[in-house]
Formats: sequence, C-alpha cells, structure tokens
Amino acid sequence: MVDAARQPKIDVRAFTEVEKVEGFVGNFKVTLREKAKYVRADRCNGCGACTLACPVEVPNYFEMSLAPRKAAYVPMSQSVPLIYSIDMENCIQCYKCVDACGALEAIDFSQEDKLVEEDIGAIVVATGFSHFDPSVMEEYGYARYPNVITAMEMERLNNSAGPTSGDLIRPSDHESPKTLAFINCVGSRDKRYNPYCSNFCCMYSIKNAVLLKQMNPDVDITIYYMDIRTPSKGYEEFYDRAREMGIHFSQGRPSLITENPETHNLYVHAEDIALGRVTEKEYDMVMLNQAAIPQPDQNHMSSVLNVAQSPGGWFMEYHPKLRPIDSPTDGIFFAGACLGPKDIPSSVAQGSAAAARASRILHSEEWDIEPTVAVVWPDRCSAETKGRACGLCVKACPYGAVKLEGDKAAEIITAKCHGCGGCVAECPEDAITQLHYTDAQILAQMRALLAEKPEEKILAFRCHWCSYGGADLAGTSHFEYTANERGMKVMCSARMDSDFIYEAFRLGAGGVLYSGCHPQDCHYITGQVVGAKRASRLKKTFDRMGMTEGRFRIEWISAAEGDKYARVLNEMQDVLDNIPPEELHEEIERLKPEMSKRLKNFPGVPGVEEAMVYSDKLVKAITSQLEAK
Amino acid sequence: MSEKPSANPNDGELRIGVYICHCGSNIAGVIPPKDVVEFAEGLPDVVRATDTLYACADSGQRLIKEDIKKYKLNRVVVSACSVRMHEPTFRAAVAEAGLNPFLMEMANIREQCTWAHGHDRDGALQKAKDLTASAVAKVRFLTELDMINVPVTQKAMVIGGGVAGISASLDLAEQGIETILVEKEPTIGGVMAQLNKTFPTMDCSI
Repeated sequence: MVDAARQPKIDVRAFTEVEKVEGFVGNFKVTLREKAKYVRADRCNGCGACTLACPVEVPNYFEMSLAPRKAAYVPMSQSVPLIYSIDMENCIQCYKCVDACGALEAIDFSQEDKLVEEDIGAIVVATGFSHFDPSVMEEYGYARYPNVITAMEMERLNNSAGPTSGDLIRPSDHESPKTLAFINCVGSRDKRYNPYCSNFCCMYSIKNAVLLKQMNPDVDITIYYMDIRTPSKGYEEFYDRAREMGIHFSQGRPSLITENPETHNLYVHAEDIALGRVTEKEYDMVMLNQAAIPQPDQNHMSSVLNVAQSPGGWFMEYHPKLRPIDSPTDGIFFAGACLGPKDIPSSVAQGSAAAARASRILHSEEWDIEPTVAVVWPDRCSAETKGRACGLCVKACPYGAVKLEGDKAAEIITAKCHGCGGCVAECPEDAITQLHYTDAQILAQMRALLAEKPEEKILAFRCHWCSYGGADLAGTSHFEYTANERGMKVMCSARMDSDFIYEAFRLGAGGVLYSGCHPQDCHYITGQVVGAKRASRLKKTFDRMGMTEGRFRIEWISAAEGDKYARVLNEMQDVLDNIPPEELHEEIERLKPEMSKRLKNFPGVPGVEEAMVYSDKLVKAITSQLEAK
Repeated sequence: MSEKPSANPNDGELRIGVYICHCGSNIAGVIPPKDVVEFAEGLPDVVRATDTLYACADSGQRLIKEDIKKYKLNRVVVSACSVRMHEPTFRAAVAEAGLNPFLMEMANIREQCTWAHGHDRDGALQKAKDLTASAVAKVRFLTELDMINVPVTQKAMVIGGGVAGISASLDLAEQGIETILVEKEPTIGGVMAQLNKTFPTMDCSI
C-alpha cells in the first residue's frame, strides 16, 4: 500500500468512481467521479485533529461495524492516502473540525463531486469481491445470536490494530471464549446460494485457528468442513501443522445452531461423517466462514466496461485457460477476485500478469486493430441519388462514426468505426458494406450451408463476441445439441441484415436463430439494440405470414451460456420434429414467394449477383458429391 | 479508405487450399477427416485438400506454408477449432508464407461440431463438410485487408486498489508507465488491509 503511494508514477485517486469508459484499445476516454471529501487534499497533513474534535460517531465499515468512527475520519490509521474526509450524510455541521484544523484550512464544505476525463491506453480491472451475508441462513442464527460472528468480524477482533487491540472477546459478555467452532462453506458450495467453492476459506479458517492457538494454547477449536482444500504451495503443510497443534477437524456441514439464551453459548448440530454419528456440541463462540461473492456494483461495472459476466456474476475472461487475464475487449484486462474467488498469492500474480498484458500495448507507439470496418458506396447513398439523406446509418451507429452533410453521400470515419455492421444492415439503399463481412461473402456461406436438405437445417446467426462464444462453450462443456445446426458468424447482431433472414427462408431453411449478446454485454454499446429491434420486426412479419412459431427464434446468449445455446438449438429441433414433413414442406413453399418479394433489391447489392452465380456452382458440386454416394 | 469490396477480388485464378485438422482425437475421434478432405477436393477452385494431425503445431503450420508456395495457393481454409482459439495462429502462418492474413478462413469443426455432436457421428460429419464448404465459399469473396494502426496513449488505469490492483499498478509504474489507480473507498488496500496475518507465512497483510 505504502509502496503504491510512494511510487511517483502512480497517481492514487481514492474515493473516486469510474463513471464512463469510451473509446478503444490505446485510446480509451475514462470519466471519473472524484467524490467530494470536504477536505482539501493539497492541505490536509493527516494529523487527525478533525477526528478528535468531531462529536459524531457512526459504525466504521472498515471494522465490520464493530467499532465506531467519527464523521470526520479516515477508515484506519494506515489509510493511503492519509487524507481525512467528512461524511456529509452524518455530519451535523458543528464546524468543530474547522476550528481544530485551524490555520491549515484544509476543511472545505463547499466541495462538490468532480467529473474528470482521462485519456488511457489500457485498463486493468481489479475490483475485487464482497462477502456473503449469512443472516439469510436462519439455521445459523447470525445477527440473532450475538456470539455467532463472521470470518471478517473475526479478522478485526483478533487484529492488534482492530477495535479490541487483538483480544478476542465474545460480543455478548466481552469474555474470552474458551471453545470455538469455525464453520466452512457458509453460502458457498450450497445450491441455495452459491454453488461454487470460495477458494480460500479452508486456508482462512485454518489460519485463524492457528493464530488463536498461538495466542492461547488452551483454547479449543473445531473446524466443521465439507472437504479441506489445500492445493497450493505450502498449504497442505500448514494444514498438517494445524492438526499437530491440536485443532480439531470435523467433516460434515452443520445443519443448525441453537443458543442457550442465558449463557449465550451455542450448540452446533452436525453429522460427523467420520464417526457416522449426529453430534451436538457446545461452544462459547462460532465463526461463519462466509462465501466470497461478486461486488454489489459488479453488474453496473460490467455495463460501464462493456464486459460480460460468468454465471454467478463474476467478470468473464476471454478464455478460461489460454487468455485468463484478458477481457473480450482489447486493452481491458482483469486481475484478482473480480474474476472469481482468489487468495492473495493468486491475486498478486494476476496483478502482475495483467500489468504485463497491458504493458505490451502501453510500450507500443501504435497498436493494430481489425480492419473489419464499414465502407460506403457513395453512388448508392440516397443523399447522392435522391438528394435526400435518410440518416438511418447515423442512427444505427453507436460511435458517431458516420459523417452525413447536405446532399453528400454518407462517409464512415474509419478511426471511429468499430465494425459492428449496424449501418450496413440498416441502409435501405444497400449503400454500405462491411469489410470481411460483405453481403456476397455471407450469402455464399449461407448457400453452402443450406445446399442439402435445407428444411432439416437450423441456420444460426451468432455475434462474434457472445453467442459464438456461447456455442464454443457448449462444445467445450460437451453439452450436446442437434447436429442440424449450421452456424454463421458476424461481428454483432446489428449486422444480421433482414435480407439474410429472408434469404435463408427463401432457400428453404427449416429454422433460423437470430442471436447475440444480452443488451448490457454488447461489445458495440447499442449494437444489440439495433439488432434486437430489427429481429422483433422480422418476428412480427413472419407471424403475419403464418410461419410456425419457433422456426424463427430470437435469443440473447452470452459467452458464458453454453448450456443455453445447446438448449435453444434442441428446442428449435423439437419444433421442426413436431411439424409433419409434408406440412413443413408446404409452409416453406408457400412462404418462398413472400420472401422473394422482400428480397427484390437484394440481387442489386454489389457482389450479390456474382455470389449467386458462384453459389449455384458450389451447391451443384456439393449435391453431386452426395448423389454420387 | 478505398472501396476494396467493389473491386473484383477474383481477377485471376483462384487457388484454394483446405486443411482438415484431426486435433488428435478431438475431431478425428468423432469423424473421419479424410472424408471431409475428399469432399473438399470436389469443391470449385480447391486445388489442394489434405488432413493434418495438428494444424496448429509447427508441422501443421509448415505444411500450410509450404503448400502456399508449392501449389501457389491464394486462399486458405483451415477446418479445425474455434476462431477464438487459433485464428491469430493461422493468420500469422499464411502471412509468413506471403499471403494476406485476411485471405484465410477457419471452419470450427471442433468446439461447434465434434465436441457438441459426439452422439451423432453422421450428423457431425455432414456438418463438418458443410462448415468447410461454407468457409470455401467465403474465401472466394475475401479481399486483401490491412490491419488499422491506431496511436496508443501510454498511460494506464487500474480500477480497484486491493492487492491485485496495487500489484498491477506497481508493476506498470516500475516499467515507467504513468498509472492512475482508482479506488472507490477513501483508502486503498481492499479486503487485504482488513485482514490480520495471512496464510501460509503468517506475515502481516499491510
């Protein structure tokens, strides 16, 4: 902590929140909210005179509310930076702090939150974790029984810098406990709350037990556990040491804690799996080793940063094994428990790893980004052909990358274009294309996928970032789904042109899936919104045409939802299986002219006619091979 | 930017090479790659199709690079794993052989085929063929592209002042990179600062 404050290249902005992140790798614009401290950082010398003078006492979050702090405060004496704040919600404005501060004149009640913009090349997200509140588990009586405490409360109670100067006492009578029970997996490995293992709690219980035993060898400690997990260097040895010190380990998750209302002693009811017996033991004090959970504002941060979340709410890495530090957004990296519960050595290692990943970019003068940007054919833009710009491209663009002035054709500012393809699909004149994802390329792919028995196929459009990743995860997890799925990839659901969907059905596709990111995960800010609006228009059109429900399906599937991808495809297969073949054939044939009607401009799109001619040849090659067999 | 897509990319002869990866038994354990090779040979403009045990391994990449020269390939299709896995690998490989990296297309026949359809081997084989054909269809219309160079602001931001954030900030700063460390609470330190001694060495946390 102190190293960070001393390092001249680190600018510590405490009491500051990230409000907005815009831009792209090498060129992020981050808006910070520097919250008002009502103390001038340039004048406060950290003497603490204001705290002494302040008459208001409120619970201190840093001490797990076991001790008070003043309204003029620092959370702890070693705070970095050592600059006091006035907690305006609790301040009674007696101005005693102002008098105490005297000639320094550091206290400034006129301060307001300040929004600051910073230009940043790369971002490391290390927002950490929060703790499960065990009061929801009635069986353990936390918050009802005074002598049931959490692990974090234990940390403060046996800490020499804590409210009791390190003397562990029972909240009910301030006596030192002689017998203690620690309960592991409180809120973790529990399907009612969090199914995952919280990673560090086994070691954490053992550590507290060893500490207490070192302070007082007579204290009797039992750790109730499901499994002891000690898979890192030196951990198993540490566990051995705890057993040698006489700490008891009892396998089996306790089902109930009851209290003697007079003594406030506690009875822990459990099944001891080793003995095969139900036990009920009395303790002076019980510590609940609560689960690590995502930060309460993790959902909010996920949308500010435009990064996805895994099941459980943690941030989602680009690849769990091969790119465990990268976010899907180039230039944004993760470190520590924001990705999932992690102990200190792993968090420190990930901090270093994220710094190394980020410094690849930060040591470069320039960085390469994908050239899959939009390009305009000016002679097709209505501004040029009709002297009237429709402006749909401008509306579709989340980045303000389309320049449209007077009767001049729209122009894409390449440096601003992120390549979602929204403007391409929205343009009614087909005057815009996307490099590497042209209509001709996509059409040729679709024709190949639907060459044989199209009525049996489900053409699945997936965005690159989320649903393509979801499909990958379905495979990686070996969630089986119908082999009739035929996947197409575009960068964003915004690129999924109505023409592609009409064409898929014109070609006789049995089903079409229109899938992309959930709106809050969209890699292109509002690209998904553009795609979603179009998809629901298409859905209405198909409903009006009398298409069987479920043949066209819209689903938002994140890269973490492999199970959902598999389920959706299997459900679509069920829909097809439930239509008698002759009825499906009849429906497909009946709707073909409807599709053709809506595709009348499609052959005029540059490259499409060529792609049609080529595809005929390709389809012939595919079908003739099958016939030959 | 020039209107690259409007230029006819297919001036001159197209020569497509198709590589079907076994990925050990990950793909070959479910479908016979040779069947896909045979199928690909029959597709228009495919002048070379072969299978390879591991396309991503040095030997697999070497095969592709040598073939580009030997068969004068101007488009490459690799039917293997996810683009999220090895697209950069194969782009780099074809670039080393002098081909524009954007003239290479992957078909995902592992994550999105053999791994997901182990229960239906015939279906998986048909799908692997179709995905390969779809990639062949796409490469025919691909154009040469260059990466876009953007300038880099040589300044970092670390969000969160716990042990991971402090570690990242120190490592960045010690390399001479200006780093802003943002913390929402009044002090950095995070959960670690609240802890008493820490395992397994029992040293203090701050």
